[in-house]
Amino acid sequence: MISKMRKSFNYAAAALICGMGIGEPARAADDLAAARELAISHCSQCHTFGKGEPHGQGPSLFGLIGREAAAIPGYQFSPGYVSAMKGQVWDVALLDRWLTDTLAVAPGTQMVYWQEDAGKRTALIRYLESLR
Amino acid sequence: MNKRESSKPRGVTSRRNFLKAAGTGAAAAATFGTVTLSAKEAQAQTFDAEYDIIVCGGGGAGLPSALFSRWLGNKVLVLEKAGTLGGTSFKAAYWYWVPNNAAMRKAGMEDSKTDFLKYVARLSAPQTFDANAPKYGMNEWEYSMCEAIWESASEGTELLAEKGALPYRHVAPVPDYFYELGYKGNTGRVLFPKDGSPSMSDGGRVATRTLSAACRRDGVDVKTGHRVQRVIRNDKGEVIGVEAAVEGGGAFRVRARKAVIFATGGFTHDPELRKNFLSIPVYGGCAAMTNEGDFVRISSPLGVQLRNMNYAWMCPISLDKAIARDPSLSGMFSVAGDSMIFVDKRGKRVVNEKLNYNELAQKFFEWDGASVEFPYLVLVSIWDQRSQDHSASHEYGRLIVPPGTDDRHVIKGRTLEELAAGIDARMQRYANYIGGMRISADFVANLKASIARFNEFARAGKDLDFGRGDRAVEQLFNGAVKEEPGRKNPTMWPIGDQGPYYAALCTGGTLDTKGGPKTNANGQVLDVGDKPIPGLYGVGNCVASASGRAYWAGGATLGPIIAFAYRAANAANKEPVRS
Repeated sequence: MISKMRKSFNYAAAALICGMGIGEPARAADDLAAARELAISHCSQCHTFGKGEPHGQGPSLFGLIGREAAAIPGYQFSPGYVSAMKGQVWDVALLDRWLTDTLAVAPGTQMVYWQEDAGKRTALIRYLESLR
Repeated sequence: MNKRESSKPRGVTSRRNFLKAAGTGAAAAATFGTVTLSAKEAQAQTFDAEYDIIVCGGGGAGLPSALFSRWLGNKVLVLEKAGTLGGTSFKAAYWYWVPNNAAMRKAGMEDSKTDFLKYVARLSAPQTFDANAPKYGMNEWEYSMCEAIWESASEGTELLAEKGALPYRHVAPVPDYFYELGYKGNTGRVLFPKDGSPSMSDGGRVATRTLSAACRRDGVDVKTGHRVQRVIRNDKGEVIGVEAAVEGGGAFRVRARKAVIFATGGFTHDPELRKNFLSIPVYGGCAAMTNEGDFVRISSPLGVQLRNMNYAWMCPISLDKAIARDPSLSGMFSVAGDSMIFVDKRGKRVVNEKLNYNELAQKFFEWDGASVEFPYLVLVSIWDQRSQDHSASHEYGRLIVPPGTDDRHVIKGRTLEELAAGIDARMQRYANYIGGMRISADFVANLKASIARFNEFARAGKDLDFGRGDRAVEQLFNGAVKEEPGRKNPTMWPIGDQGPYYAALCTGGTLDTKGGPKTNANGQVLDVGDKPIPGLYGVGNCVASASGRAYWAGGATLGPIIAFAYRAANAANKEPVRS
């Protein structure tokens, strides 16, 4: 039998609630938890999130927001990525553009990812913001 | 929200949860499988979307299958379980082995269908191999599958290149792994993504980029975070769609007018399937974390024939990374260092450390009936400062890594005694995983004797115990070593008599398993009567490979996959639209 699945999780609303800090604390914590699960599912094949954790297939994302792109030591960025990103600083807007379509922002990047769902992007960004 | 296990190594929490329904036993039976609709139900069935061809899986088999299908004019959807595309192939070097490829023909490098078939037969059916028999000792099915690779790998490859989906460069000098068998075509079959690095280790990233870009350019719909759980059939038993669980909740039911092509990979990351189908206790491997044998579960109620479930593409792996389920785990395609040996828990060499990775991996699983154990389940790689300085690499899963990279797997000691203590401590940490293995009381004495004996061989350039460096493939994968003018065997150099020394624990793992439902040479999944299940196809590691235990050459995973993706797409394209 086809089991009934619950309604699709509203990532956008969850992220908004996280970001605005309103709503019940338990709900907000749940939503950040959901965002973390999404990030783990989408990102942890290549990236680590914790302080002091090593690079993987991709660079560590701890402290990403506010960091200069293509500059973290110990990771070998592709030439295409470096030429597109050098000098930029990671902020929410850049991250949103990046997650929308990495190959459009930096042709030749090794990271193949595009996310059309704005709610999911927002959730991922909120989680990454929390890594500091 | 789902309950979560706490304090697990990264990656595990989400996957355990996200894939909870993909677990074992009864829960799986309830969630995976098939739905059969009566005619009335089929009429009334609401689908969320409709396509000509649905491809389940967006990795090394799925993306080519989708593109070939699309280029034949079909409306195509790719459903990918993970959040990103590429699957196992993303991390891979992505060499692809294409017999009789256009580049080798252009370069005047001879290939031969009969020699190709003899070569694969010799390796995949060694006990029945007969160069004079009509099918060289392979059975009907094996022969037809291998013939299909010969027929279609080049054609599929050329089309992918022509369309800009997978431009390649020809790596002409690369030999087949068993070059020494002396068959025609034993050099020149390997192709590599054109923009990959000179060391050819990053092809998977390049290929995933170019293949997905072609999908987007040419109008293949792609949905990530969609885990196919069931096929939907009409009352004639024909496959007419699939149902997927959507990331974050909800279901997605989609109609396939012509066919569903499964390309969901093997079962490396399902401990239950591993335990019950592989006869060896592998710890895991570098397959995509989402490769949990979903197609085994989905297809079983359809009355398929599971074949080759006992074999996998194999390689040594770091024990630490395997136990940690580290997603960056790469197979050890190349064992780094020349002043380096592997020893067992007694401190003795037991194997040629530079043996081709799939073959080397078998050593870990030799059973000893006298001591009733797997005595080599863990081997210890030992190297000196010289190899540390000259053979460090972040590629090909090498254990010797440059300063500043993740070296948590590395044990250090100023002396061999100190190193041994570190090795023992590390084994104790993993006691529950390795049956309590510890170094023997005479480990250090044996190790010193092993090093002395190895050093003699290294000076002479000939490994009298295990033949290290005797084969072309071992030279190919030697990795960087210190320049030593005049040395005869670049795979060996005496280990220094001064520390510091380094060590790392190794075991065997799978790139992925290669067993599953039996298909015909067009990728059609067969029922127990050997008849195609209408509308159902399988390509890649989710279905049975005709290679048996054999790893024919670098790229003998992906080259044949391209052949079958091409054939499956062409056959699926010809399917009638079903009600």
